Amino acid sequence: MGEDPTQDGKRFDPLDAWRGVRDVYMDAWSKNMVEMVNTEAYAQATGAMLDTYLTASTPFREALEKAMVRTLEQLAMPTRADVVSIAERMTNIEMRLDDLDAKLDTIQRLITQAVAGPPPQPRKAQQPAKKAVAAKKAKRGKK
Amino acid sequence: MAEATVITDPYTEAAERLKTLTKVMTTKAAIAQTPKELVWTLNKAKLYRYTPVLPKEKRHPIPLVLVFALMNRPYILDLRPGHSFVEYMVNKGYDLYLLDWGAPGPEDKNLKFDDYTLDYMPRAIRKLKATFGVEQFSLLGWCIGAILTTIYAALRGDEDGLRNLILLTAPLDFSNKQGLTFARWTDERYFDIDKVLAAFGNMPGEMIDYGAKALKPVENYIGNYVKLWDNIDDPRIVESWHAMNTWVTDNVPLAGGAFRQLIVDLYRKDKLMRGELVIRGERVDLSRIHANLLTVIAEDDHITPSCQSEPIMSKVSSADKELFKVRGGHIGIMAGSGASKFTWPHIDGWLAPRSK
Repeated sequence: MGEDPTQDGKRFDPLDAWRGVRDVYMDAWSKNMVEMVNTEAYAQATGAMLDTYLTASTPFREALEKAMVRTLEQLAMPTRADVVSIAERMTNIEMRLDDLDAKLDTIQRLITQAVAGPPPQPRKAQQPAKKAVAAKKAKRGKK
Repeated sequence: MAEATVITDPYTEAAERLKTLTKVMTTKAAIAQTPKELVWTLNKAKLYRYTPVLPKEKRHPIPLVLVFALMNRPYILDLRPGHSFVEYMVNKGYDLYLLDWGAPGPEDKNLKFDDYTLDYMPRAIRKLKATFGVEQFSLLGWCIGAILTTIYAALRGDEDGLRNLILLTAPLDFSNKQGLTFARWTDERYFDIDKVLAAFGNMPGEMIDYGAKALKPVENYIGNYVKLWDNIDDPRIVESWHAMNTWVTDNVPLAGGAFRQLIVDLYRKDKLMRGELVIRGERVDLSRIHANLLTVIAEDDHITPSCQSEPIMSKVSSADKELFKVRGGHIGIMAGSGASKFTWPHIDGWLAPRSK
């Protein structure tokens, strides 16, 4: 009858107690580790490790790069620098296309506005014009 | 009627658990499923528009543009159906756009904040305005995305029509060196940035991922998997873990030029908050930000502590500004289980009346 639920509906799990101990231990470990990575000593140690790796690997990396460039050139294949150069030029072309697109959008907006006709004049701007017409009419009347 | 047989022998249970574990550790979850269309593209950057679900008359007239960090994929904002900020905001009637920076290649190693804020962002915004006939817009920047949106808001915000600015866990103030673990690790005494960038060109995603995880090593390298194993029989938790793990392990490099600015100009010299940051010859003056501002701070954020985000409130000229603190971590406030109860409704509640 090992599958029978207990009174609260959960199966008895003998590992529950162990999990509780584990969680307490992990919490304590986590706090200690957070404190540890926050120290100057840790920053110094990781910095030194990274520096050692870069110092040690740079000559090999550079030698490999040179050999690869020579090989690709011999095979009449584009090198990494060639591909990068083309990609940069593509981005520049995209920029110019985007500039053209912006100009086309502006032209399209102006054409749409022109086809739709001039926007209605605001009231305040119309009043002086009406007054001027009335004054002209009055002048004509006098004549 | 025959009852369904429940397999309960311990060997079968263990085999099922191992099968689930193998699946979530070796496959990618279905993420970023909200429908969207491509509006604009330049180099690796793309501007997407999420397909609205409400008719135009029921939508907010001011669109919202999401700008995420440079070194992570932005689909954390649209993680999975039912747990997606994007889906939530689209359902609330926002015309929603996402600026996805993409993954920089070797040819992009010289890209800097200057390029992102004065080339990419203004061009994307121009296209958005021209295509959809709007004059104003809102911006939401998260993490490094918040640095970019802040710089953009100070340099071009007013002239481009920026109305609302939302900054999530924004690392802007770097003056408290003792409180910033990253500042200690990248101190010039220990971290030779020239050597790193000479070797890699761009900052590799794996190194950035290591840096983020090493802040809480036990939780990230052990506790995370223990949590999965403890809940391996709960499909909801497994699904959520799988989606988050898919995002966490999908890192992109950070362009070398931008990484150098982040470390040297910000972490080491705190130039942005001191008003000394110069972007393509223009000084970034935070008092030139007039847009309505909402700053969201995660109270348990170990990547961007609150001391990095709060000081901007006194630097901007915005008449309408709010600081919102919410319980949760750097990512948890937007993608955790409490996000849909606290952070998302607050952002919607703040933005809706300001998007009329």
